Amino acid sequence: MSVESTSNRRPANLVKWFDPRRREIGTWAFIVNRLSGLGLTLYLFLHLIVLSQLAKGPQAYNQFISLVKNPLFLAGEFLVVAAGLLHGMNGVRVILTSFGIGVAHQKRMLYVLMGLALAGCVFFAIRMFGGEV
Amino acid sequence: MRLAPKPGENAWLWLAKLASGLLILVLLFVHLVVNHLVVEGGLMTYADVIHYVSNPWIALMEMSFLVFVVAHALLGARSVILDLRPAPGLLRVLDGFFVVVGIGAIAYGIWLMQVLVHQTV
Repeated sequence: MSVESTSNRRPANLVKWFDPRRREIGTWAFIVNRLSGLGLTLYLFLHLIVLSQLAKGPQAYNQFISLVKNPLFLAGEFLVVAAGLLHGMNGVRVILTSFGIGVAHQKRMLYVLMGLALAGCVFFAIRMFGGEV
Repeated sequence: MRLAPKPGENAWLWLAKLASGLLILVLLFVHLVVNHLVVEGGLMTYADVIHYVSNPWIALMEMSFLVFVVAHALLGARSVILDLRPAPGLLRVLDGFFVVVGIGAIAYGIWLMQVLVHQTV
């Protein structure tokens, strides 16, 4: 087991995480990673709950699908896609640098990965809102 | 920004978080590719879903995906809580909660999958 003592420290300042003043790009990456991770966790459990409609048979599920074809749900789904792309691409950087790979170039790596995430967002936005599929 | 395990985070759990994150990326890619090659237009009806999971490889892929995602989500949530520096007693309670939720979510997914693979349309 690693160090388990968390006792004699003051509680962390939750608000400080999201204070935008005097931020390095790495801190922004941390904030985005944290928010997208929490959002995706929320989505995961909502997703598991709604999929129980499948166990109730065709009518329940098809009815649910016609509900989520609503643009409001589609916008929510797009947020999930964007959060997944940002979290996943930043995660690649975290894994690489954790093993000492590319630490000196991690800012550039972040820019490239965020560029890929953004390109992915555009791709999915066109597919989801572009009309014809 | 601290990348290595934080205080109170077991090194193996930290490694599991990284490994599950990587496996999610791989399976998410496979999931998207398979989804668009096997089912044209996506899984928009009950019949599509039943047909999709009738392939045992798909069912296995989806179940592995569930395990990695649940593990990664809960380990990540725990990291956030560790940054709030909970009292050791509270952390133990929360750890128990995470274990119950994780096992519950995976058991539920396996149950749902076996219901679906035994359906015919």
